[in-house]
Amino acid sequence: MAASFWESTQRRYWMFSKEELAQMREKLCDEDPKLVQMYPLPDWKYLYIYFNQQIVRLGKRLSVRQQIVATAQLYIKRFYCKVEIRRTNPYLVITTALYLACKMEEAPQHIRLVATEARSLWPDFLSLDTSRLGECEFFLISEMNSQLIIHQPYRTLATLQSDFYLTQDEINLSWSIINDHYVTDLPLLYPPHIVALTAILLSLVLRPNSMTGASAANNIAAAGAALAQAQAGRGGMGGSNSGQTTPGAAGATDKDKQQEARFGKVQRFAAFVAESQVDIEAMVDCTQEMISFYEVHEQYNDKATRDQINRFIKARGLDKA
Amino acid sequence: MSITNSQSSSSAPSSARAQVMKRSVQAAFDDPSDRGLGSGYQSKVRVVDRYKVIGFISSGTYGRVYKAVGRQGQPGEFAIKKFKPDKEGEQIQYTGISQSAVREMALCSELANLNVIRLVEIILEDKCIFMVFEYAEHDLLQIIHHHTQNPRCPIPATMVKSIMFQLLNGCQYLHANWILHRDLKPANIMVTSAGQVKIGDLGLARLFHKPLHSLYGGDKVVVTIWYRAPELLLGSRHYTPAIDMWAIGCIFAELLSLRPIFKGEEAKMDSKKTVPFQRNQMQKIVDIMGMPTKERWPYLTSMHEYSSLGMLQTPMMHHHSSHHQSHHGSSSKSSASTSHLEEWYYRTIGAHSGSSTLSPANGNSSGLASLGAEGYKLLAGLLEYDPEKRLTAQQALQHPFFTTGDKVSNNCFEGLKTTYPNRRVSQDDNDIRTSSLPGTKRSGLPDDSLARPAKRVKEA
Repeated sequence: MAASFWESTQRRYWMFSKEELAQMREKLCDEDPKLVQMYPLPDWKYLYIYFNQQIVRLGKRLSVRQQIVATAQLYIKRFYCKVEIRRTNPYLVITTALYLACKMEEAPQHIRLVATEARSLWPDFLSLDTSRLGECEFFLISEMNSQLIIHQPYRTLATLQSDFYLTQDEINLSWSIINDHYVTDLPLLYPPHIVALTAILLSLVLRPNSMTGASAANNIAAAGAALAQAQAGRGGMGGSNSGQTTPGAAGATDKDKQQEARFGKVQRFAAFVAESQVDIEAMVDCTQEMISFYEVHEQYNDKATRDQINRFIKARGLDKA
Repeated sequence: MSITNSQSSSSAPSSARAQVMKRSVQAAFDDPSDRGLGSGYQSKVRVVDRYKVIGFISSGTYGRVYKAVGRQGQPGEFAIKKFKPDKEGEQIQYTGISQSAVREMALCSELANLNVIRLVEIILEDKCIFMVFEYAEHDLLQIIHHHTQNPRCPIPATMVKSIMFQLLNGCQYLHANWILHRDLKPANIMVTSAGQVKIGDLGLARLFHKPLHSLYGGDKVVVTIWYRAPELLLGSRHYTPAIDMWAIGCIFAELLSLRPIFKGEEAKMDSKKTVPFQRNQMQKIVDIMGMPTKERWPYLTSMHEYSSLGMLQTPMMHHHSSHHQSHHGSSSKSSASTSHLEEWYYRTIGAHSGSSTLSPANGNSSGLASLGAEGYKLLAGLLEYDPEKRLTAQQALQHPFFTTGDKVSNNCFEGLKTTYPNRRVSQDDNDIRTSSLPGTKRSGLPDDSLARPAKRVKEA
């Protein structure tokens, strides 16, 4: 139901295990191996990065809010769980997903305006014909079984930010981590509150501009440690583990108060997680997925990805279909 | 499900046969245009393969509603709402689905409550949207209308109570899930032949949890005029579930008196697309409820149209005040802000019970007088000017009205001897591709359409 995530179609029909997700994608490839062979594509995580960049460009043009972009991104993910990408024009799918998300999030944009702006971004791949967009909308809604209401982690973040005494910087960082998770498979794997909590944890242990090199590894260790502590605390056998799981403890005794405050927040967070029924395993995995996403991002080759996508669109005439 | 289509071939062979089919309702589902092309969107499921259309129920600006049965062993009957695409010239084109249809599709897909109409499936086919719902034999408009027919007789008290409880229960479910219905009125409240009340038509409904924009920004005008809450009439920029509660209060009153309690005339939008002050409607409310005051409604003065209240006449209970002297205060010293609702209530239930000797009684509890003082309190709680003081659906469900007197049944027809006529289903459907009836005309009722205001919304 719209209010309760637990009864929502999102939880009932659009959450998968990693294995299920892999199987669905494999099945799509198996339907037409020749097609897949003829037009090799990079891994989904790179495709998602490319789609994300494109949809953000269109979103800027139309001045739509981030939450609408997020909804559209999830529509795209759901759609490509069911439809082989090489049978579609991804630029049209991106445009349509955003057009539909605007309506669904109660900020409708005129179909003609959306078509015009999209065309100006990708003139070689789209026509100005609004009926193409309208047709693709049918396709999208049909594949999603009209299940269009999306539960997002932003709401959980807004609810919890005061509980954890988050600073504006930490809120902003959590917010961008949530934005980033829409570039990964995570929204198909975990419920929004898990993502929100993970984002908050990362915002507490990561420092701005520390996404690279050795410090990143330390940060992950810190996040992992906090979760391990939470897990131990929940089992009632916290005593034995607590010694090893507080790498920040030494730092808290000396130096700046900021460090201390942050440490206190991590402690508070760990205690909250320990007391709640939150799936800690899921948070651990979520943390790892986010960190590896940031690594993948470093290796991402924009031109190669774009070329491969554009090639199959042109070769198969999908820009005119 | 087969994508290939065997249907379109059937219209080809015999032209005589095709001629007959053309007028039939089934024709509305057989749009032969652009089938079988390799490219383009194709539905995996076909409406005509899954359902057999029995007849036409009603039409509105969105499209039409048909009655159908399953072809593939689906039990029961169905109401299929067909959304028509806009036309550009002669050709039907994909023009983008209306926001109202998108809302209804998305919300109905999530909902599951006994007192909210159940969506069975949605089929997108041939540029049309087919929403398949469970079928409900009656609706409140039809039931109220039936009671005005000769001999005019009130709706039995037990039935009113059951309807109100179920209606509130469905509404409570919607509100608990952050959904505003925004168009509650008798025509949108369905009743099944088993006496279950189902809130229908969520075409105007929307989520109100942390909206990205103020609700006013989206749809400038919501709720059919007679059921529109005073805060909406006074141009409030923000509104709450309380607007649905006002509408439910109006429906309660209408179940008692068999006519809309505030039957105003709608001022049309002018050419500049500014929303006019609904003076006549507000006057109707003031006539019974008295002038709103800032003592009763602290935010009153911050309403956009507050100053327009000055245009209204002080209320008069013109005709009746002398006849039915009720036991409360004397009418002589009543001021402009005095509510006459209590008077209205007792006159309504009293008059009915007084005349019940004339009309064939349905049973011993048919007298509305048995609804008693709690009935008035519930009504007054729903028709409270201040939206913050108005009863919520949750509060209304716990109202003593439902625990005193007759027990509430979840079958509103329980113990009733009268039966209501079935929904009229017509066989001749003008070809859906060429005709379009404006407004909400229902085939089930004689055309007293001067009475019912037409559809309500201008999408921004």
